[in-house]
Amino acid sequence: MNRFQNLLESPQNELVEQAVFDGRIPIGYSCSFVPEAFLMADKLFPVRLNAPGVAGTEIADIYLSNFICTYARSLLEFAVDDRFDLIQGWVFVPSCAHMQRLYDNLEHLKKPAFSHVLDVPRKVTKATLEWQAEELRILADKLSTHFGVDMSDNSLMKAITEWNHFAEVIQSIGEMRKNTTPTITGTEFHALLMASLVSPKDLIFPKILDFRKALEQRDSVGSFRSRLMVMGSHLHDPEFIRVIESQGGLVVADLFCTGAIPGFKPVKMNGNPIKSLAEHSFKKTLCPRMMENFDRRLQTIIDTVKEYKVDGVVIEIIKFCDLWGVDSMTMVSALRKEGIPVLKLEREYSIGGEGQLQTRVQAFIESMGK
Amino acid sequence: MKDSFESTKHFVLRLPDLAKDFFHYSLIGYIIEAKSLTNALIYTKYWAFIWGRVFKLLLKLLFKQGPMGIFRVLRQYPWMFQLLGVTRLLRRITYGRKGAYLESTALVIHVIAVLLVEKLEEVFYQPDRLLINEDLVPPEIAMAMGLNVWLVEGMGILLPFLNSEACLDFIDEAENAGMNPDSCSFVKSAVGMVIKNQQPKGVAIVSSNMPCDAGMTSYSYIQKQLDVPIYRVDVPYNFHNKRAEKLFVEDLKGMIAFLEENTPGRMDWARLKDICEKRNRMMELELELWDMMRVSPAPLASEAIWLSHLFLFHWFPGNKVSIRLYERMVELAQKNLAGKIPAVENEKYRAVLWNPPFPQFPDIFNKVERAHGITLIMDSMSYNRHDLIDTSTPETMLTGLSKIIMDGPMVRHTRGPAENYLDDIFRCYKQFDLDMVWIANHVGCKGGQAMNGILREKCREMKIPLLILNYDLLDPRIVSHEGMLSQVDDFMENVMKNKSPLAMAH
Repeated sequence: MNRFQNLLESPQNELVEQAVFDGRIPIGYSCSFVPEAFLMADKLFPVRLNAPGVAGTEIADIYLSNFICTYARSLLEFAVDDRFDLIQGWVFVPSCAHMQRLYDNLEHLKKPAFSHVLDVPRKVTKATLEWQAEELRILADKLSTHFGVDMSDNSLMKAITEWNHFAEVIQSIGEMRKNTTPTITGTEFHALLMASLVSPKDLIFPKILDFRKALEQRDSVGSFRSRLMVMGSHLHDPEFIRVIESQGGLVVADLFCTGAIPGFKPVKMNGNPIKSLAEHSFKKTLCPRMMENFDRRLQTIIDTVKEYKVDGVVIEIIKFCDLWGVDSMTMVSALRKEGIPVLKLEREYSIGGEGQLQTRVQAFIESMGK
Repeated sequence: MKDSFESTKHFVLRLPDLAKDFFHYSLIGYIIEAKSLTNALIYTKYWAFIWGRVFKLLLKLLFKQGPMGIFRVLRQYPWMFQLLGVTRLLRRITYGRKGAYLESTALVIHVIAVLLVEKLEEVFYQPDRLLINEDLVPPEIAMAMGLNVWLVEGMGILLPFLNSEACLDFIDEAENAGMNPDSCSFVKSAVGMVIKNQQPKGVAIVSSNMPCDAGMTSYSYIQKQLDVPIYRVDVPYNFHNKRAEKLFVEDLKGMIAFLEENTPGRMDWARLKDICEKRNRMMELELELWDMMRVSPAPLASEAIWLSHLFLFHWFPGNKVSIRLYERMVELAQKNLAGKIPAVENEKYRAVLWNPPFPQFPDIFNKVERAHGITLIMDSMSYNRHDLIDTSTPETMLTGLSKIIMDGPMVRHTRGPAENYLDDIFRCYKQFDLDMVWIANHVGCKGGQAMNGILREKCREMKIPLLILNYDLLDPRIVSHEGMLSQVDDFMENVMKNKSPLAMAH
């Protein structure tokens, strides 16, 4: 498992360095509405922007203020500190006010050689699907012009096939967690998933296959008091899951941007790769930024609870996130109405206050009678 | 028993202060303090008009629904009691003002009273045609469909004008229901009113992704509570292009279809043309007013500019009362201009206020006028930059409206690149020959907070004095009035190097 944890110690891990050394082009992104497969065309590869071990955000606080989520602040701090020096292009989504302003401040403080805002609509209709496809086409042209990469339909088809293959393997590991006695902990799964999001897929893929083989040999991860689902804002550090699991709550399902539900469903091909990716980006992400998807999110949670035999749901929210902060008010009451126990936790981007977290989780598990 | 005795004693001891306070804010109090008969007459006229409207509302309600009807209405909307403080507001914001400037301020309050009464009557007597509207979705289309529009956030803005603590219960209610305390109090207030069942229910809701994440997301909750169908319009991030216009026009057509399906409203293009033309007229008059505001010293200022725009363009576009107000404003400004009479006698500094004004402390502008000679010339909510609506065809009207929505205040400032926010400030600064920029740094407005760093640097480069005034839009518990005044005093002393003997915070 250490092989994945090690890849999470730096925002640009050894696999990224290796790929850059081989002449490939890392493109940083921070939102799941950017289809990873799209950034896998030709020499490109996607790197989910993260800020592991961020110790403070002194410079970012001056620009973004103390009232912006610590994920956005941490990224700006790392960028100003040249911690993303290998990243050759940035693709943003106006996912929320915080991300929009991160882009604005980055442009002001350290303008990247290539940056682009993918204008993803906040609702899904026939017109917005077309809009999203056009947005991807514009980005493809821009990438092609700037980096001289092949963003043709054939190249994108190839990237999609590669991503689908990768996603199937991730999904197969994720589904092992449906078993009554899972062979993988939530911490391990999250480390694997995060590592796969911050590394070139082809370079990390053999390690994932090895890991899957090892899992097949395992009996179980031992006994836990309850089975939990974690959902909410960006969660990068597997340590958060480890603390939850240390109190006896095995995390068997995860619904957040860097989780497996519903993000790792293969892209359905419809003959036009750009359109397929546009449709896919709306399907694979369940974020409250989408104005009309509350009922879909709720239903997905209810289905997941049943499918993964979940005892309780933990909603984790990065402090100052208005999307999840406001949405959780509706979500908590809707889930409780369905008889699902819920624990709402506010946290910072990097892990802190471990003792408090342990106490809250412990009390939650006890309140479920486990 | 002991507690009741203590509180009665406390009340009795406070009676002299309360009586003094009541007297100060009463009409007699004003007349005694007024230094000229003309000003006393202006004030008395609007004082009487406003109370006339309030009594008309109550009498009509009594006549139509009987005493029990009044009781039911007041029980459902207890915030209506706050409206009785309207002439107190009139007194607060007209303090020390004279002549045309006094009249312009009083007129705005009067017009708000007139139109609010009109709106409340729609709520009471035509609930089947009531559309619940988010504040940044302009109401012209719904009005053209014969629907009455109620802004969910409307009272959240208006009530704190009357009583700075009017929304605290609603804010607390939303937080107790699980809303993140760091979110915007404007949104919390709207949600709290819904939870307390003090909002009209309406037949449908139209909301949007504007202006912020909290506002947008709160509508899932509001819709579930009100349990009526909802349509959400979606303004793209990059909206300064034909592609965005086309997408948004389609969205507006979707909204019309939704309203036709879910409400008794039917699209009447002739009526929309009429509303748009009247709206255009309002805008022409406003532009005329702006032209005069460029002159220094300004012929009018403050509420005449920002409060009129905030209320009338957002809630009553194309209304004949709105047009009449702007016509009168132009006349008053022309009168002062011709007589070379400044609105603010000691105008020393001309300021723009960026981000929404201070609803829980509207008299701050009056205070800074008198203490430091700071004259509020323009604000971001009023500073629209768009063309008149082309009313030649339904398509051109929808295109015009879509541009107004996308280019509307707060909408264009909260999306697109930073330039959308910054360039407007500097353009306004130049256009109105200003001396300083004020940022109303609402603690819940994260998008705005995250621009302060860049703005600070740009202002330094351009040598523009910048005051970032920390406060909360609706909650004086976050920063007290005293705290706000003290920020102004400190700015004047340290940045403008102009320590006033009338400094406000003591």
